[in-house]
Amino acid sequence: MELLDNLTLGFSVAFSLQNITYALLGCMLGTLIGVLPGIGPVATIAMLLPITFHLPPTASLIMLAGIYYGAAYGGSTTSILVNLPGEAASVVTCLDGYQMARRGRAGAALSISAVGSFFAGTVGTIIIVLFAEPLTRMAQKFGPADYCSLMALGLVAAVVLASGSVIKAIAMVFLGLLFGLVGTDVNTGAQRFTFDIPELSDGIDFAPIAMGLFGVAEIVVNLERHLTRTGTIKVGSLWPTREEVRRAIPAVLRGTMLGSLLGVLPGGGPTLGAFSAYTLEKKISKNPGEFGKGAVEGVASPEAANNAAAQTSFIPMLTLGIPSNAVMALMVGAMIIQGIQPGPEVMTKKPDLFWGMIASMWIGNAMLVVINLPMIGMWVKLLTVPYRFLAPAILLFCCIGAYSLQNSTFHVLQVAAFGVLGYVFSRLGCEGAPFLLGLVLGPQMEEYFRRAMLLSRGDPMVFLERPISLGLLITTAFLLVLMALPSIKKARKEAFQEEG
Amino acid sequence: MNRILSKDFLSGLMFIGFGLIALYFGQKLALGTPVRMGPGYVPRMLALIMMGLGLLICVVALVAGAEPVEKPKWKPITLVTIGIVCFALLFERAGLLPALIVLILIASLAGEEFKLTEVLGNMVVLAAVCTLVFKVGLGMNISIIRGVW
Repeated sequence: MELLDNLTLGFSVAFSLQNITYALLGCMLGTLIGVLPGIGPVATIAMLLPITFHLPPTASLIMLAGIYYGAAYGGSTTSILVNLPGEAASVVTCLDGYQMARRGRAGAALSISAVGSFFAGTVGTIIIVLFAEPLTRMAQKFGPADYCSLMALGLVAAVVLASGSVIKAIAMVFLGLLFGLVGTDVNTGAQRFTFDIPELSDGIDFAPIAMGLFGVAEIVVNLERHLTRTGTIKVGSLWPTREEVRRAIPAVLRGTMLGSLLGVLPGGGPTLGAFSAYTLEKKISKNPGEFGKGAVEGVASPEAANNAAAQTSFIPMLTLGIPSNAVMALMVGAMIIQGIQPGPEVMTKKPDLFWGMIASMWIGNAMLVVINLPMIGMWVKLLTVPYRFLAPAILLFCCIGAYSLQNSTFHVLQVAAFGVLGYVFSRLGCEGAPFLLGLVLGPQMEEYFRRAMLLSRGDPMVFLERPISLGLLITTAFLLVLMALPSIKKARKEAFQEEG
Repeated sequence: MNRILSKDFLSGLMFIGFGLIALYFGQKLALGTPVRMGPGYVPRMLALIMMGLGLLICVVALVAGAEPVEKPKWKPITLVTIGIVCFALLFERAGLLPALIVLILIASLAGEEFKLTEVLGNMVVLAAVCTLVFKVGLGMNISIIRGVW
């Protein structure tokens, strides 16, 4: 019954007036920014990070989680209504969602996606509750060498599953790790790569990097592409027909299952979930020809999978401290700024934060359905604001946000610098997510590596002698070898082509 | 020529370049021994591995060919960067309002369409929103116009 006690604790924390207000605020702000075309959850969270830093830790994480759901929800809305996915995970929603909208069923598509997502989110939350404790207990047996190997596995898996070119992505991880080392070395106090700039001695702040890399670079790329919109938006009735409901329910169930499973994998997360769910639906459908022309299943299943995976991807982050995708990397960064070292200790040392956050995840999901469906008219209005108004406004909020971190204009300059770097990355086809993962894990990984080597008296064999570490490293190597196999290479290429 | 100006080849060069920078500026950091690593051990290791990967990416790109880079459009990235830098320089010296006006003006120039009336309207709205939210609402310690408010 420990589980029930934990949940009671969680809900008592989450239902406090303060926390519920921040959850609500997070959901609203997340939707507000997420619904703006061309801005995905990562950019949204990066932009809104500074707001949460001044809150108490629990409230700030609850608000961030709310922002995440809100942004994801906003992303589906833009996909369905104007065919502009804010993130990779909602690309598939565009395929059939937008077609439904063109047939005048936008309202139905929106409500199916919202209710389906809520159901999936609920299941995902239950899975977190069930798995959090056993996984945490397992993680507490880990030594420094095991942790180092676990991080290696997490990084490699994230790269393998979630990006185009494996080798470029791995190089990006290393670049991220290097940037993570800027600042004062914890063991010796030596200044590394600080160029005598006092602001750098605490390390490069991670919020301006995320803002520049994802916010500014994304805006610039959008400005180049100059987004165009077709036709007017009509939502129509929110109520799906009986036929649509009949088709949506099994699809939601399948999507939830698939998404929950794939979300736990490092690098899995929402994108993989949504794509696999769509492929699955198309395969088992009696008339696959309907897909791409407004099939209800093509909206219901990926949306459910997307949200279930968004939920379960919290598991490795909360229990092991390993972020599995860029959003989780931002969460880890936010926790570190709040003085919480993510990992198995969070659950034992700060149970109120841990369970409160989990409970508020469910509340956040519920809020999205209850608040946002009636407010859809307002979000639609927002969609019609032209990009030439939005882009400067977003830049402005990024700048003020970056300044407010430490009341220093140095952070604003950092945003500019990393905006340029992010632009270069996107021009060269290098992804920002692996960089961010490396950046967040860099300092910890170095710490564990050095500790492991100290304990083994400089013998690198320690990584192969400890069974846990060896197992993790073998899995890592296996993944890498797998990627080099020609047949898999081909299949991956096709999968990513569909995405782009 | 095409192979040199491909996404992969150039990104390989970028990784090698960053590696060289890390090695150059990290050369004063003590290496230490594997048992007691100095501050320079891990950075140097990472830089070397990254350079190796960069080299590999370059070679693969040259041998197998790769996607060419799209020609960058200089206007958006340059103007956006200048806008943010101007904001950073003006914000503490002159206050939020002047910084905002300059940033919005420059950032609006980065887009395709530019209508002065629209941009002015945008400035008024954003100035009002920012003042209300950040100064009045959140009570941030910032001045709207330096020396005045």
